[in-house]
Amino acid sequence: MAHVWRDVMALLPANETDFPLVFGEVVEPSVLVMLELNRKELYASSNSFCTEKAQVIIDYSWEKLNTGTWRDVDKEWRRVYSYGCLFKAVGTCQGESSRDKVQDAIKICDMGLLMGASIMDNILQRLIAFLKNKAMIPNKVVDIEQPCPKKLRKECILKPIINPGLSVQRVRCPALESFRSEFLEPKIPVILEGIIDHWPAFREHTWSIEYLQAVAGCRTVPVELGSRYTDEEWSQKLLTVNEFIDRYILGQREAATGYLAQHQLFDQVPELKEDIRIPDYCCLGEGDEDNITINAWFGPGGTISPLHQDPEENFLAQVVGSKYIRLYSTEESENLYPHQSELLYNTSQVDVENPDVVQFPDFLKASYQECVLEPGEVLFIPRQHWHYVRSLELSFSVSFWWS
Amino acid sequence: MRSTDRVLQIDPQRKDEKDGMNVLSPVELDTWCTCAETFSRTGLSPKQKTATQKIVASWSRSAVLHITGARRCVCVHGAESSGLVSESEGCEDVVLTESCLTLSFTHTVQCWSLHRNGRALVWSGELNTTEKTGNALPLPLVPGGYIASKPPFFRPLSTQLQAASLALGTEHAVLLTASGTVYTWGHGSHGQLGHGTLVSEDEPRAVEALWGVPMKSVAAGGWHSACIGVGGDLYVWGWNESGQIGLPSKGLREESQKDKERIEADKKENEDTSDVIISIQALPALVDVSEASEIKKVSCGSRHTAAITSTGDLYTWGWGLYGQLGHGSRCSSDEPKIVEFFSSGKMSVEDVTCGLWNTFVAAVPKHRVPL
Repeated sequence: MAHVWRDVMALLPANETDFPLVFGEVVEPSVLVMLELNRKELYASSNSFCTEKAQVIIDYSWEKLNTGTWRDVDKEWRRVYSYGCLFKAVGTCQGESSRDKVQDAIKICDMGLLMGASIMDNILQRLIAFLKNKAMIPNKVVDIEQPCPKKLRKECILKPIINPGLSVQRVRCPALESFRSEFLEPKIPVILEGIIDHWPAFREHTWSIEYLQAVAGCRTVPVELGSRYTDEEWSQKLLTVNEFIDRYILGQREAATGYLAQHQLFDQVPELKEDIRIPDYCCLGEGDEDNITINAWFGPGGTISPLHQDPEENFLAQVVGSKYIRLYSTEESENLYPHQSELLYNTSQVDVENPDVVQFPDFLKASYQECVLEPGEVLFIPRQHWHYVRSLELSFSVSFWWS
Repeated sequence: MRSTDRVLQIDPQRKDEKDGMNVLSPVELDTWCTCAETFSRTGLSPKQKTATQKIVASWSRSAVLHITGARRCVCVHGAESSGLVSESEGCEDVVLTESCLTLSFTHTVQCWSLHRNGRALVWSGELNTTEKTGNALPLPLVPGGYIASKPPFFRPLSTQLQAASLALGTEHAVLLTASGTVYTWGHGSHGQLGHGTLVSEDEPRAVEALWGVPMKSVAAGGWHSACIGVGGDLYVWGWNESGQIGLPSKGLREESQKDKERIEADKKENEDTSDVIISIQALPALVDVSEASEIKKVSCGSRHTAAITSTGDLYTWGWGLYGQLGHGSRCSSDEPKIVEFFSSGKMSVEDVTCGLWNTFVAAVPKHRVPL
């Protein structure tokens, strides 16, 4: 493993002069000076590269990323952040390599992928691909003292009994046109069967805990802690997929529920993207494929997404485990008591399965549909349709937001 | 910053030439700042003593306003270049941000953008002064408004507010009126406006929680704000990400928890989580800096806070990675800690100014403090 540094440098341009550092005017000259200093030291063979200056770049651009609202942050600052991560990750690979160092370098690259913007032909992604291969981080061995309690529980999960009069209808592989006229245009939820059976995630790469550990175990992802995002104690934490699985899926030590939710994991881990396919029905939208947001939802039983609405059409594809889902049309909005705050106005205050009818008396008047979504099924949730989701067991879903 | 005998700084951007380390403890500024001498040498009477009137700092630079006799001039120090700003001759006040140097003269205000090889005038405006004394208000205030470091440079303020001083944070503003009322506006997502919400405000809005308590000074950091009551109480509000509010911070507690875990790996996790953790303080909080004395001056950096007590002690808290707290380490702190360099060195701290990631103070030997 001693040659990691040399091989990492081989991924970078051969000379300092070929290493681009070009930014828009928003990036102050003093920051550019610091970036150039990093580049110079990286290519100086005599000195050993110090990650301290890379940290300065990361810290300074991090402050810019936290200035104003996220969507208004200038992309140039996200690029600067990625450069900081690149310098730091490369510097971390220096000297005698160890598994810990390589894991650290992967983590730093992931931070760049999560918060930065693509630089130098996606160098951070290429660096991770190399480091993962080079380091050959083995699958985490499951702790023998913890005999997968969640798996045992799987056999006796209580599935809610669905009232047949309220259940969401199911259709097997409808034609594009009939999906459009019968469901998309009239905004009617439907469960599509048989449209994702061909995904590699169900076949040659069957998704399992072991598979995720092998493909993405060392990758850092945002995890939501607390059973629902409206809770006071709700928070987010960055963990590696291995850490998340050990602590929140296999382990029972953590009091809080952990949920890898609403994360664009497939952009971060291209191997996983190859296991799924964008449903054909998305072509009925006006945007092209790049405008489809694909999110991963991976967690133990008991994760809850409170009743809320989203601004786009949604295909929720269930790959592993099952989920209980409740749907309310937009006409019921006034009975659902949305939060007043700017941030949560799209979320109901009502705890759907245990409503406080004194505080929210009209909630019981609202008519709804419900279902248990099983592996291989895809739920179409029309734009702005209110939905509540609770996982009944270990679950992995993929959502496609499209317009 | 008043003229004093010794000016010291804690500044990460400036490297000690010997070992290239960040400055973690205060260092006397005069050992680096030789431009004052240059200035007096170019003057008519070389024997005249040059005094430092004011120091301001951004991320990578600091600017010093010097006075020699009747002459005033600014010099800028930075990684790329240092030296006198010839255009500043005669200026009365100075403000520095990472992109812009603002100078106020008797009748005009100028904004200069700072480049690698010099500077360029990007904006200038006439001051609407009726008095002969020129701009009696401290920058960034000017008659009828204030000067920002980004277009539009001049931004009007209602004269009814009777602005006395103004502190600009990264994306918010804290104003003190002549009667001691505090107004805030700008981005509010981190509680930095002190109205109890995370909502932004386009127009100045009085901080109701402070009503009835006249204030004597205000400060603004990256995402936090501070003010001192006439009685010497310190109030702080906003983002507590690095402990800059002086209340228990999640990030810091987790960090120390991690260290603990490394030592006793078997010990059960999350034992300390019963502690109240403050990530955002959206209303002014009274911060107990020192039981014995009042607060005389406060200044906020990007993610740290510094305050001086009436007894001349300097306390700092918040982000410390770049040595900005002056405790001789890179540790952050979510509670005010005395800077022992001064207290144990028998120095009385007279004034303090925080740059983004640095801290400058003026101090005098303790026995010479006038009673």
